Amino acid sequence: MKRQMKKVLLILLSMFLISLPLVVKSQYILSLMITLFIYVILAESWNLLGGYTGQVSLGHGAFFGVGALVTRLLWVNKIPMLLSLPLGGLGAALLAAIVGIPCFRMRLAYFPIGTLALSMIALLTVSNIFIAATALSTELLKSYEIFSRYYLALFIVLLSIIAIHYLVRSRSGLAIVAIRDNEQAAAAIGIKTLKYKTLALLTSTFLAGLAGGIYAYQHVSYYYDAPFDLTWSFTAPLTTFIGGISTIAGPIVGSICFLALSEIFAVTLGQVHVLIFGFCFILIVLFLPGGLLSMKMGTLKNIKKRMEKAKADS
Amino acid sequence: MAATAKEGSPILGKEGLMLQTLAYGILNGLLYSIIALGISLVFGVMRYLNIAHGSLIILGSYGSLYLFRLGLDPFVSIPILMLTLFLAGILLFHLLYSNFVSLVEGLRIQKSLLVSFGLMLVIDNGATLIWTSDEKSITPFYSGMSFELFRGFHVPLISLAGGILAILVILALHLFFSRTYFGKSVIAVSQDPEAASLMGVNVKRAFLISFGLSVCLGAIPSVLVGLQAFSPSAGIQWFNKGIIVVMLGGLGNIYGVFPAGLFLGIVEAISVFFFGAPYREITGLVIFVLVLILFPRGLFGRIPE
Repeated sequence: MKRQMKKVLLILLSMFLISLPLVVKSQYILSLMITLFIYVILAESWNLLGGYTGQVSLGHGAFFGVGALVTRLLWVNKIPMLLSLPLGGLGAALLAAIVGIPCFRMRLAYFPIGTLALSMIALLTVSNIFIAATALSTELLKSYEIFSRYYLALFIVLLSIIAIHYLVRSRSGLAIVAIRDNEQAAAAIGIKTLKYKTLALLTSTFLAGLAGGIYAYQHVSYYYDAPFDLTWSFTAPLTTFIGGISTIAGPIVGSICFLALSEIFAVTLGQVHVLIFGFCFILIVLFLPGGLLSMKMGTLKNIKKRMEKAKADS
Repeated sequence: MAATAKEGSPILGKEGLMLQTLAYGILNGLLYSIIALGISLVFGVMRYLNIAHGSLIILGSYGSLYLFRLGLDPFVSIPILMLTLFLAGILLFHLLYSNFVSLVEGLRIQKSLLVSFGLMLVIDNGATLIWTSDEKSITPFYSGMSFELFRGFHVPLISLAGGILAILVILALHLFFSRTYFGKSVIAVSQDPEAASLMGVNVKRAFLISFGLSVCLGAIPSVLVGLQAFSPSAGIQWFNKGIIVVMLGGLGNIYGVFPAGLFLGIVEAISVFFFGAPYREITGLVIFVLVLILFPRGLFGRIPE
């Protein structure tokens, strides 16, 4: 019953999002929605790795950036978007395979630190090599319209949510969650831990690369190192934790809150939303490991329990 | 490669230039060692990863800047900063980190990593709000001076003083760990917390003091970084330098940070010599990733994982 409800809700939501551009013509709102989609894809992909697999990555921005870079370079050189976008994702996954898999062989904190170092290498290298900003040619600029970007972003969001949903519930997904809960025990019952961690890593970074590709598709002009910025690496875990880690809805809720806060404070105080989110992040890690979503369900349950108790007493 | 372009450098001669580069590398390496020491103390003893270490150092730099504006010499302000940061460390431990003491190792690393990640964001963005994101630096009258070690071989005075200070701190810490009861108990906890607690060591107190000490050690890099240049966003970069040195030295090996720090400093300096300044940071990071892949126990690792 509950699963049916969720499915109906998801279908209604996607119907609403599909029909949104038909009603709302404002460029501002549509491009805000695309930014939200990018956040959601990035957070969902991070969640697959950090939430379900238990491998906290502090450098997801590197994969996002590589996706953006590859997609942009291919697209500007007249390769159709529908081809350059997956190629960007593949580029990100390739980078992950080179650096991430060696990190997996080691225990302790190697993975987060390795990915953090990777994102810094990527940022510095790209800002040294590509000094000028990228801008669209007049030809591409003429054909620029927001609807195709909106629908492409929406398609990737739905794709990644569905992919992660089914991956996590598959046999491989069970193995992945078992590795998170206890890696040694998982290995002892015959799960090839490295194989499944690699599967999660490659899927996750591929999706992050796609998010980067959408960024490259959406923006008319930006500095090449902008998508490599460390803030991208940091927002993904922030939004995921605040929404609710290891859930599909968590990253979505977190991203909406994050974007709303950043829009509210965009005009007045630059980085206040990150400050607030940093505070909330600490509180959530310490006291509410399930994030905002768990709080809602938990409080409801608490209220129910209290009511039942009151009834029993009277 | 840029090496060919610099080969016939007429100013100092090749050997002289190399020597100068090496000296810079060693002095920088000592600074890295001190930063790494703070991180390693917490990581080696407690298996806590404090990502906010760099941000706390930058916070110290702002403190030092204020004291300097009040007329206090940056090197004189070190003891004051040390005390303040020590107290701040104790407070932070009580507020944020004390809950994780009883967790298993892997979970402890992950939780402390996440909490300090949040702390880093709060400190960095708070600092940006208060002091803006402009780069600042402390400029006492001797900031541009250099010291002539021998003919034609100059070393900046501040770097030299910083290097000497770093060596002194290292010696003091060595004495602390090898001669005092408390230092020995900290080493014991880092080797085996359970056995240490069975021998009557108060593990929680060892954790608390180690954390305070780690943050307090940040006072020296605070001033040295402050004398160069600092901005709110620099914290993560200094943390990165520190953690690279910790991992090169081998996780959990407190003494490994000194050779590793010197190694990183020298390698960076030599890379400037060959590839030019923009790629300095990258060389360090690339070497880190390579070492991670080839020697997972670090270059100077002693304690097997």
